[in-house]
Amino acid sequence: MFVAVVPAYNEESNIGSVVQSLFGHVDKVIVVDDNSSDNTFHIADKAGAIALHHRINRGQGASLQTGQNYALEIKADYVLHFDGDGQFDVEDIKPALEEIKKTNADILFGSRFLDNRTKIPWFKKYILFPPARLFNKIFGGVDLTDIHNGFRILNRKALEQIKIEQDRMAHATEIPAKAKKLGLKYIEFSVRVTYHRYGGGFLHGLGVVRDLLMGKFLK
Amino acid sequence: MLILFQILFTLFVLFAIVSVVKKKKEGLLGPKGTFFWIVFWLVAMGFVWWPDSTVIVANYLGIGRGTDLILYVSLAIIFFILFRLHVKIESIGRDITKVVRKDSLENLDKKD
Repeated sequence: MFVAVVPAYNEESNIGSVVQSLFGHVDKVIVVDDNSSDNTFHIADKAGAIALHHRINRGQGASLQTGQNYALEIKADYVLHFDGDGQFDVEDIKPALEEIKKTNADILFGSRFLDNRTKIPWFKKYILFPPARLFNKIFGGVDLTDIHNGFRILNRKALEQIKIEQDRMAHATEIPAKAKKLGLKYIEFSVRVTYHRYGGGFLHGLGVVRDLLMGKFLK
Repeated sequence: MLILFQILFTLFVLFAIVSVVKKKKEGLLGPKGTFFWIVFWLVAMGFVWWPDSTVIVANYLGIGRGTDLILYVSLAIIFFILFRLHVKIESIGRDITKVVRKDSLENLDKKD
């Protein structure tokens, strides 16, 4: 069974169409509503998703792990991480799943840098990403072309072994680092991202670094 | 003037020590913590009553003035406590996440 996990926070304007667009590409859609103040939960539920609700806002990493726990319960073979704001293209899902199966990889990371389909804001591309990529390499020993891309596919083995402990955004560095540490086979795959909003900036990056450093002192 | 400050500070130290003992009785402070805070306040009181004693310690450590010594030590302690608090808050945050996660999965099971 192929299951999509969609973390969502205040995404009432996008979540319905994202859920509907996912059907036909995956078998089940799990939406984890991270205590949105809008109607995200009910819209996701109505659209046919398995809607989970966090009573307290815990962050994207926490929402993904909640979805993964449920995916494990329902015995999913593959799990897709997919953003709830409609920035990813569902047409990338099928070829990505075929690729992870064909290569016998445990985890697939989406990348915006393997072709020219994604128009990345220049400040991100030339100023923010290079040091962030270097940081990921130093922190996790993982050399990926992209950073903090929310499109991933995990097989059952990766799903069982990778437990996301970074509740907020640092999970995007934590997951590749854990994949490497656990000796899981990972690959990159080209995906298209359409920017509806700017997303994380410099302060976001600093928050990620702080969370990762703090995580080193926690058990 | 110094006498007035010394008396006020002593009263404050007594209040602080009483609070520490209370917290210990309520089970909010362990034996190590209780010992540390009582000694901390007694030493602070000692420095206030005998200001020259800080100069002796400062000179021994190669620091010019007693007040500088107190400033450096205080800053180091404050930063350490802040760091410990930060780690503790993060750890509590992760515990909260586990509870929230369990609750959300149980609610879904109930719905089914």
